[in-house]
Amino acid sequence: MDSDAEMPMSSDEEMLDDEDYYDYSDMGEADEEEEEEEEEGEEGGDGSEGGEGDGEGDSDEELVGGDYEGREAEGSDEVVSRREQRYIVLTEKDINERQEEDISKVAAVLSIRREEACVLLHHYKWNISKLSDEWFADEEKVRDIVGLLLNGIDFPNSSKLTCGICFEGYSSDAMSSAGCDHFYCHECWEGYISAAISDGPGCLSLRCPDPSCGAMVLQDMVNKLAKEDDKVRYARFVLRAYVEDSKKTKWCPAPDCTCAVEFVSDGNYDVSCNCKFSFCWNCTEEAHRPVNCETVSKWVLKNSAESENMNWILANSKPCPKCKRPIEKNQGCMHMTCTPPCKFEFCWLCLGSWAEHGERTGGFYACNRYESAKKEGVYDETESRRERAKNSLERYMHYYERWASNQTSRQKAQSDLQKAEKEQLAKLTDVFGIPETQLKFIIEAWSQIIECRRVLKWTYAYGYYLDDKVKSEFFEYLQGEAESGLERLHQCAEKDLQAFLPPAVRPENNEPTTPSLADFGEFRVKLAGLTSVTRNYFENLVQALEAGLEDVHSTAQGTTSSNTTTATSKKAGTKGKSKKPLARTSSDNSEEGWPCERCTFINLPSVDACSVCDKHRY
Amino acid sequence: MSAGIARGRLAEERKAWRKNHPHGFVAKPETTADGSANLMVWHCAIPGKQGTDWEGGYYPVTLHFSEDYPSKPPKCKFPQGFFHPNVYPSGTVCLSILNEDNGWRPAITVKQILVGIQDLLDQPNPADPAQTDGYHIFIQDKPEYKRRVRMQAKQYPALL
Repeated sequence: MDSDAEMPMSSDEEMLDDEDYYDYSDMGEADEEEEEEEEEGEEGGDGSEGGEGDGEGDSDEELVGGDYEGREAEGSDEVVSRREQRYIVLTEKDINERQEEDISKVAAVLSIRREEACVLLHHYKWNISKLSDEWFADEEKVRDIVGLLLNGIDFPNSSKLTCGICFEGYSSDAMSSAGCDHFYCHECWEGYISAAISDGPGCLSLRCPDPSCGAMVLQDMVNKLAKEDDKVRYARFVLRAYVEDSKKTKWCPAPDCTCAVEFVSDGNYDVSCNCKFSFCWNCTEEAHRPVNCETVSKWVLKNSAESENMNWILANSKPCPKCKRPIEKNQGCMHMTCTPPCKFEFCWLCLGSWAEHGERTGGFYACNRYESAKKEGVYDETESRRERAKNSLERYMHYYERWASNQTSRQKAQSDLQKAEKEQLAKLTDVFGIPETQLKFIIEAWSQIIECRRVLKWTYAYGYYLDDKVKSEFFEYLQGEAESGLERLHQCAEKDLQAFLPPAVRPENNEPTTPSLADFGEFRVKLAGLTSVTRNYFENLVQALEAGLEDVHSTAQGTTSSNTTTATSKKAGTKGKSKKPLARTSSDNSEEGWPCERCTFINLPSVDACSVCDKHRY
Repeated sequence: MSAGIARGRLAEERKAWRKNHPHGFVAKPETTADGSANLMVWHCAIPGKQGTDWEGGYYPVTLHFSEDYPSKPPKCKFPQGFFHPNVYPSGTVCLSILNEDNGWRPAITVKQILVGIQDLLDQPNPADPAQTDGYHIFIQDKPEYKRRVRMQAKQYPALL
């Protein structure tokens, strides 16, 4: 999330008004109180007892409306430029333009035709410097490899030629060659090109039909001889090749999205396409920080694979001793009867035929044969394997359930965000007369929830593969904190907001139940505060997990809290240049939230004791 | 290639073959029950090269052309169970120029196919094995391999 750039308090060019706006803790100034009173007067004194915070909010709206918008625009520019350092989303138009640019450049430098430049670039994977190096080192060799003949093939003298494909005779003007002296009729050319194009992108390096000839069939030839739809498909392959050949660009994996993403820097692979889809550029799975790509692929495989079904069957069933079908025993006595057509009757414990059982072997609920065989150790191995499978299945289910439920919550939050954008903001504007631009904090809260659900989801995959016992303990503590923090935010955005929306049925009377503008101001302060606190916590969590909780060794829980702090600050140090916002976050803490010394929880500025462990701030 | 080009091209191939073909080779379209020629299936014989273990054998190959010919290569088959590292158990020949995704070009003629297969007989390609038997013996036991090849040559004497 880059949105801290949009957070007003983080910009250096902050206006005074904005400082006031967010500086809730500092409200004792006389002139402001006056202002508030004026405001309330203007509002017509709706009888609310207007806490200072609300008044603050109101005055701000009146005073900095225009300013706010202006700054907003600046903020988003900043976001874009910072993203450009990491990756660039390319639309089809961009790709076309870049490709054309590369082709023209090469055509000009090597003084060759456009089409020749195109196949050369394709061969050299659009690496211009490598192409020109090799070309100027040994042009003849490059031409030979790629199949670009130097001009100078004489047009055949005889007026009648035999086509090498259909073996029919044609006049020479009804025949063409790929620049070599192998001439084929136009009908055969059309078929040859068409067959190659329907075989896929390999058509981009189509050679002359003669087996001993390497002459390349160029795009102008395709355009001259192929059918209309084949020309279109060929051009499509050329475009695709530009993205697929290059090691730096990849298609956005979202269905129906035609954009590609160029990755510029190293490190964090999470990118977000114009279509809003976030994915990991490295493995093209959906974005999965802080978990690494290998873990994700293991986890995805595990979720999809039959292996878990097999585990369940192994843990909870035994094969019928006769027909070998797996049987689940759902309760009752040990006398089993397999389903038709098998109908074999057997003992669940020893898997022997029931005919040999009876009072003598222990009756319906026990089996002496089994007991004695177990003593001899016959059943130990299968039994323990079954037990192990059961345990590991339960463990997996634990993590999977939580992974999946965060996924569901995230999807719900995504639709809630849309709902907020489409309906709720407009309603709030109606009710409270606040411009939508100033309700952005709701959108920000939802975006943050969506991002946090994503992170939290992947922490379950992380936890599943975390092997170290001490780290596990610490990790689960961090995860629990993250979870409860996010719950608070989610609750606030989901439930608290409802109070301010006009109810569907009740008629419009503002008196007793409709919350006042002041209440709304309070809500804003709370939600914006929770958003930034949660963002900070998750940012730190992601960094700590990406670092593999490296600072946790064989320490007990008591000391782990200080470890987090070092993990975070160390990270901030190493990433110092690229991660400017982080450095700022720490200074922001004084105005915006403060980290508890003992448990590292980022607290609201309004409280003086940690909300988690009650340790005092100073 | 437009429909029908396969037959026209094969008729021309047939003419060219009758005018001139390499010594010892046989290639002719199948004769159907009513006595007419089916140009889509050719019965051929490839002589083993002189001076090799394959000498003396005349190996029968059937070429099955599809309507896509010459866009797509014909399928070339020895009798089932033919002993050679690059021949599938079904008898189908595995050869780069006969691979439609790879080496095939529409300008390759029947003559070039047959000569290509003749070359393959004595120069198997161990990088691309098609049967276990022929491949393992070729790799592990050269004398046994030579013996098997010579035995097979006797199995396919000249028809005349």
